[in-house]
Amino acid sequence: MTQRAFFAIVGARLRGESRSLAYACAAAAVVGFVQPHGLAGPIFFCSLLGIVIALIQSPGRFAHLDLCEQSAPLYGRELARAKALVPCIVATLATAAYCVAAEAAGLRDLATTFVAAFAAVIPVTLTALSATIRTGTWQLLYVAMACAVSAIAFALVVVAGSVPAELGFAALVSFFALRQYGEALARYDPV
Amino acid sequence: MREASFDASGAAVGPITLDVHSGEGVARVFGGSREATIAAMLAAGIVKATGGSVLIDQYDPRVQSAHCKRIAAFVPHAPLPLPDEAEFERYIAYRAALWDVDSMRAIAQAKLLLERLDGVHEAFAYPLAGALVAAPQLVVLDRPQPAYARQIVAAIGPRAIVSTHLSAAAAEAFSDAERSRAPA
Repeated sequence: MTQRAFFAIVGARLRGESRSLAYACAAAAVVGFVQPHGLAGPIFFCSLLGIVIALIQSPGRFAHLDLCEQSAPLYGRELARAKALVPCIVATLATAAYCVAAEAAGLRDLATTFVAAFAAVIPVTLTALSATIRTGTWQLLYVAMACAVSAIAFALVVVAGSVPAELGFAALVSFFALRQYGEALARYDPV
Repeated sequence: MREASFDASGAAVGPITLDVHSGEGVARVFGGSREATIAAMLAAGIVKATGGSVLIDQYDPRVQSAHCKRIAAFVPHAPLPLPDEAEFERYIAYRAALWDVDSMRAIAQAKLLLERLDGVHEAFAYPLAGALVAAPQLVVLDRPQPAYARQIVAAIGPRAIVSTHLSAAAAEAFSDAERSRAPA
């Protein structure tokens, strides 16, 4: 895939998601303002937003974009990387909105909060993406796995008190989740 | 397509056998819209046959999917309403980026094509203009509007055409239009 195709897919889908992006950032800002302290709020709420944003990427929401991408000479893994970046951008911006609002309400450690929430939100979003091209029990299983990833990230950073451990966990889960999404997209028949 | 069939996701289509060359057109009638769409997607290499074989030029979509998609263009049944010319240009530039062709040239060609599709509702003309951006050798039309058969076939030019339909009358409209187009 050329860089042009990659950015064209990301740009077209981000334009389509502009309203979702605004709602996600607004919701995160409100919750961040109300619950500025602790890591439970940013990690679990932003993870929830990540799951929702990932799930609304399901086929059919932008049917003409789906068809264009499916009929274009692209490979599943390449397409997966471009498509996965969109919910990750939305979730990251929502996390940033949460942290900025929380800081306005008295949050002391902005950088640590953002890093801890970001490291949870990205693998959660990527894991939930695989649910979009599955149905029934498998779809529920991927959503449950995404929730579990969020809980493990929280445990690593709060209970174990290790941000590097959380970052390592996030990198590992993100790698396998993106790979799994790419493999599934390559086999996916859009009917 | 040789005895090509698709049987997955609760849908079964085929077996379908058809052979189409440059400048030729094949119009097939199907019993339902889902079957027609799946057959069109099989012909364009978007879905892979679960039985039989599909060859687009010399490529098998099951193993050389990207090559097939450079040769075949798919025009969906659903219209694509775009609010203004800027949005149309953005759509063509997006498609040009996916197929890695020059955006400005693609937009200019698409606008010329729209002029040739005079009389065709814009929402039906846009997807066709977008599909022809990458100069495909085969154009697959999923349940195209029979009222626009002559304009659509003329705009596609000397390329091979496969179209799926729900009625014999619609298929006949395209067959008539193909008979009257210039040979390749």
